[in-house]
Amino acid sequence: MEESLLRVKEIGKHFGGLWAVNRASLDVARGSITALVGPNGSGKTTLFNVIFGLHKPDEGRVYFNGERIDHLAPHQVYAKGIVHAFQIPRLFYRLTVLDNMLLAARGHKGDGLLNSVVFRQGWQAQERELADKALELLNLLELDHLTLSPAGELSGGQRKLLEIGRALMAAPVLLLLDEPAAGVNPNLGRKIFERIELFRQRGLSFFIIEHRLEILFDFADWVYVMDRGKIAIEGKPEEVAKDSTFYKVYLGD
Amino acid sequence: MGVNWAQVLFNSAVTGSLYLIAAVGLTLTYGLSGFPNFAYAEFMTLGAYMGYFVVRQLGFDVYFAFIAAFLACGILGALAYRGVFRFLANRGANKIHLMVGSIALGFVIRYIIGDIWGWPATTFGIRWPGFDIGPLRVTDLWLALIFTALVLAVIMHLLLTRTKTGKAIRGISSNPELALASGINIERVTLVTWAGGAALAGIAGLFWGAIASLSPLLGWAMILPVFAVTILGGIGSFYGVLAAAFIIGLAENIGVVALTQLGLSTEYRMAIAFIILIVTLILRPQGLAKAFRRT
Amino acid sequence: MGLFVYSLDIIVFIGIFAIVALSLNLEYGFTGLGNFGKVAFFLAGAYTYAILMERTGIPFYLALIMAMLVSAGIGYLVSLPALRLREDYLAIVTLAIGEVLRLVVKTEDSIAHGVWGITVPPAIHWSGMSVLEMRMVNIGLVYFCLILCFIFFQLMTRSPYGRVLRAIREDEVAAEALGKNRVKYKAQVFMLGSALAGLGGGLYAQYMQYINPYMFLPMVTFTVWIMVIVGGPANNWGVLLGAGLVILFERGARIIKDYLLLPIDPINLQYILFGVLVIFLLAYRPQGLLKERQLETKAIEGVQKWKNRSSE
Ligand SMILES: Nc1ncnc2c1ncn2[C@@H]1O[C@H](COP(=O)(O)OP(=O)(O)OP(=O)(O)O)[C@@H](O)[C@H]1O
Ligand SMILES: [Mg+2]
Repeated sequence: MEESLLRVKEIGKHFGGLWAVNRASLDVARGSITALVGPNGSGKTTLFNVIFGLHKPDEGRVYFNGERIDHLAPHQVYAKGIVHAFQIPRLFYRLTVLDNMLLAARGHKGDGLLNSVVFRQGWQAQERELADKALELLNLLELDHLTLSPAGELSGGQRKLLEIGRALMAAPVLLLLDEPAAGVNPNLGRKIFERIELFRQRGLSFFIIEHRLEILFDFADWVYVMDRGKIAIEGKPEEVAKDSTFYKVYLGD
Repeated sequence: MGVNWAQVLFNSAVTGSLYLIAAVGLTLTYGLSGFPNFAYAEFMTLGAYMGYFVVRQLGFDVYFAFIAAFLACGILGALAYRGVFRFLANRGANKIHLMVGSIALGFVIRYIIGDIWGWPATTFGIRWPGFDIGPLRVTDLWLALIFTALVLAVIMHLLLTRTKTGKAIRGISSNPELALASGINIERVTLVTWAGGAALAGIAGLFWGAIASLSPLLGWAMILPVFAVTILGGIGSFYGVLAAAFIIGLAENIGVVALTQLGLSTEYRMAIAFIILIVTLILRPQGLAKAFRRT
Repeated sequence: MGLFVYSLDIIVFIGIFAIVALSLNLEYGFTGLGNFGKVAFFLAGAYTYAILMERTGIPFYLALIMAMLVSAGIGYLVSLPALRLREDYLAIVTLAIGEVLRLVVKTEDSIAHGVWGITVPPAIHWSGMSVLEMRMVNIGLVYFCLILCFIFFQLMTRSPYGRVLRAIREDEVAAEALGKNRVKYKAQVFMLGSALAGLGGGLYAQYMQYINPYMFLPMVTFTVWIMVIVGGPANNWGVLLGAGLVILFERGARIIKDYLLLPIDPINLQYILFGVLVIFLLAYRPQGLLKERQLETKAIEGVQKWKNRSSE
């Protein structure tokens, strides 16, 4: 097997006495859409939080491109190329949709203190280019008519889209999407996954948590099923769907 | 010069008792409502001036002063919660807004007190003669303070472990969602805590006013060690505060001895609490308490 | 003439406090940092300036720069343990440092004569200088600094950097997940904010020509907060307006005290009213008199272009 892009090894994370993630190991292959499913509270979001650096794991390691990243802060994980879209969108609600997008941009010269005041020429053109890129993405997500509205004025589904758009704006290598299709209508949910497929074809890799299995299983290459902090089974979507443990996990034993 | 260590220890107990009474309400409301209420300083000040009012202006016995301080500050605490903080929170105020609001409320109370009773420092005009117990020089007031703190500790322990409200207070500060789900009346518990905590702050202010002197800035002068106790104890934790109050009491009193021997001013006593505060934040921001949530 | 000279005094004060209020606006308005010890950095600047001017022969502008550096240094040291933690810890630590610094200058006579205070030689002086001339010189100096500060703040906050600050204010975890090192940004802002509060302090000491510890009570911090909240957090023009209004109101109360007999001392009443006003503003108009404006950079041009293209 070729070397995986992301490797999670025996990760454990506990809150008080509860092991939310309990020695979970998994791999995300380069260029794949890998899925993580499991019942509510099984530890999926917690695992994502460990990967992108919000939580320090209590045990285990995380490798990205063969490099350990489990001790890094989120902004350092971002710098490595992993970008995370939250389960509940965490937008900057008083800023415009455009500002939300621009904030995700990588290597913006204007983000530095000195550049903002003294070397202002350096980033003006960059700001223009980034705006074009943001508008293209917003167009793709059908949000371009809202570009200058505050993010707080968006509907629930639109917020979800912007959260994903922001992650795409960050030009990531690997995207962690926590329930991208939750809370949007089925049509839009499918559309989101079609976009995801589009970006996968452009070379991005995806690691996706999703409860809408009927959509997810049409797009995922590989599925991990999580149960009480552990990986219960893994496999191709059609294999997992046939597995009896899968139903046990979901229906409770 | 020989140091009377027994006396230092006793003084530490006095200081610790004062901080315990002062900080209990602060830490519990901080845990429940999620922000530090800086108007706590003025709750203490009001307690002291209620004592002044009852003892000096009405000429009543000092026991009535305690009742007056307890009741007046309790009512003020409930009003502050209902009239200011819950009001602001319902209108979408964030944590910083609430903190600013508490400072604003503090100013309102402080300047009202200043206007009524004047700004110069004053006293209750009661002498508390010292007497010796073994190697210790004590006064009735100090003994009363320690006794009050002991009673408070026992009552708080029973409250928190035996009663529904007490368990709810601990439950809400460690896990609000769970508490809500389990059918605790959060609103009532919070109100009771605000009132009770402020009442205790009033008692602490009264003691301090009786021990030293009182001015409208009394509470403000005590706020630093009280916050140090709260942070060291771990926000929202009664047992943490219990330990922290006496640790800081001890540190201050040993510190005063050390300062004297180093030839420094004992005014730096306040800086000791500050140093403990900073060191706690660097080494153990969750404080002494075990259960602590961090976002 | 008397009234005219008096109004010059008000103008100087507005200028000095506008600088301090702008610095708090950077911290609180744009970045969401609750600094409740603004007076500490104001004090640090004032004392640094006063001590340098009294003891050394360095030119006043160097003393002002030193005042800024010392304040920034103290700000950095103090914020270091608190910036990584929740916002309430910063509030407590800054509030505490305000008390401790005042305690130090009050207690240590060797620093600046303790409670007796320290006299500060004027920066610019010629023999036979009148009060009027002295105030005009100060207006020139203070407003020169204020204009520089204002331009600096405007450039900074209306740039991608300012956008990052606002993002940190809105949701620092989300900002961090988008690659922004929140601790670095917050530390920069805190140092800058402290430096400019220090500048305000230096100018204050130079104008007053005498300072003592009682000039640096917590009400200084509170006054600056009112300026920001009244004027409009995250709006630099609003904060200028706020500074002007609050100083005028304060002076008004003092004048009333001399001419009017009220059942309540107007100065006490003023702070009571300020407190009530702040609570009401937080409830009903947290955006202040002048609202925060959306960021306008070159990116907006791109949006216009896009709109034109798609409407064709
Ligand atoms: N910060 C936290 N503190 C304490 N417990 C937590 C925390 N975050 C998560 N948990 C607990 O860890 C467990 C796993 O939660 P997690 O959010 O990872 O589940 P999930 O699989 O993402 O569920 P869902 O499908 O509902 O999103 C839950 O029992 C949850 O209550
Ligand atoms: Mg989840």
